[in-house]
Amino acid sequence: MAYEIIIKRAFRDISQNAITHLMTTLVVALTCLIFVCFCIFSFNLQRVAEHFGKELAIVVFLKKEVSQEKVPIIYQRIMGLNGVESVRFISSEEAFKKLENYFKDEREILEGVDPLFLPPSFEIQINKAFYNPIMIKEIAQKIAKWDEVNKVQYGKKWVEKLESFSKGMKIAVIASAILLLITAAFVVTNTIKLTVYSRQDEIEIMRLVGATDGFILGPFLLAAFIQGITGAGIAVIISYLGYNYVLNLFGNKGFLLSLDIRYLPIEYIGLIILISGIFCMLGTALSLRRFLRF
Amino acid sequence: MAYDDRVIIELKQVVKKYAPDILALNRVDLKISKGEFVFLTGPSGAGKSTLLKLLYMSQKPTSGSIMVDGIELSSLSRSQLPAIRRKIGIVFQEFKLLPQKTVFDNVALSLEVLGYRRSQLEKRVKEVIEGVGLGDKLYRKVVQLSGGEQQRVAIARAVVNRPPIILADEPTGNLDRKRTLEVLTLMKELNARGATVIFATHDETLFKNTHKRVLFLEKGKLREA
Repeated sequence: MAYEIIIKRAFRDISQNAITHLMTTLVVALTCLIFVCFCIFSFNLQRVAEHFGKELAIVVFLKKEVSQEKVPIIYQRIMGLNGVESVRFISSEEAFKKLENYFKDEREILEGVDPLFLPPSFEIQINKAFYNPIMIKEIAQKIAKWDEVNKVQYGKKWVEKLESFSKGMKIAVIASAILLLITAAFVVTNTIKLTVYSRQDEIEIMRLVGATDGFILGPFLLAAFIQGITGAGIAVIISYLGYNYVLNLFGNKGFLLSLDIRYLPIEYIGLIILISGIFCMLGTALSLRRFLRF
Repeated sequence: MAYDDRVIIELKQVVKKYAPDILALNRVDLKISKGEFVFLTGPSGAGKSTLLKLLYMSQKPTSGSIMVDGIELSSLSRSQLPAIRRKIGIVFQEFKLLPQKTVFDNVALSLEVLGYRRSQLEKRVKEVIEGVGLGDKLYRKVVQLSGGEQQRVAIARAVVNRPPIILADEPTGNLDRKRTLEVLTLMKELNARGATVIFATHDETLFKNTHKRVLFLEKGKLREA
């Protein structure tokens, strides 16, 4: 079967049934728009969670009696732990300087205080790729058991909150995505079914004059793919314009600025457009199946 | 068994039952030779349309064997169906045309499914449309034509790819006397050019004084009239 004929027939079908095709494309666009908005929301939610996670570091306070010679050994032990990105040693003097800087103009409060009164410590950053709240907790608990360690701080409450938030968000994202996909599948396949039903006489006639399944299916599938990618393309354009509008309205407000809300990456957009095209093709193939029986 | 190459359609002990217990065709035996013109008649509900549907494979028989142009239909796979359907031109009582498409587009469809490009099929399509007397209405939408004209479009579509067999299922059922005779004349012309024609009708006047073969179907049983 010449592809040229299929392509020509598909475009002829689109132009001869322009209104039906336009309506289907708009339904696809609307469905995709809801899905794209959902993706932008969940994508940014994920980023915000990751952002807060990265802020969290583990601080290990050593016992005052730990000798200077032991510091490199402890450093190596920490670096050897799975998931540790970097470790920084903060001596008692450095900690005191930090405290002085913190008090700035009121540093006289610290007059007479022993510069070595603060314990030496390590600041541990967790590897981004390994990051998750459970891992922070595990690393902190492991280090806390070491003899040289006095205390480990890791923003316990934050980690626990983030942990439950991440879990909840994952469930919500998966459940919403499934629901949305089912709804989208239902709406799109039913719209396509209406198009196919409106042309069932044509399909029957084609069958009776000896058309192969490929000849009948080909133009329908190509037209459906075009509808799918056009609909998703429209949704991407509208959502991008909407994103820019909202950003211009509220983007300069401190809170939103700190969250650094972003539009979907190009790979996501490409995937959504491609999936929409394939989805419409599958819907059409399923709707046509019953007309192609013996 | 030796195959008689003069026979183009052969039915052996064909039975067609519809649920729950309707016997549409009862052990039908039939042989039709190449180039024959056969009237198939009988009262409404006698099984005429069912017999034709089995021939163009819109339905399968409950039992028995059907051969068309040397091919046993029950042995055909789904992918082989289009090839055998291209050997059969079908004309229906209700025309089965695409009303919003032009006369040209409707007729051209039979050649497009064979893979012909528009430029390749144009000459043949115009020639056939002119042959059925609609040369001046090539690019009219079918919906704008009279019933008789629509039936002529359907005949043009059925014969444009020169099929060896033409099945006409009550093709004059919706036409007045004048148009009925026009359609019958067209069918006879096609037969004269070599096509085998099965013409199903319950209108006895069409075959009253004919020398053509007449088959009578009643309650699923077939006999020569």
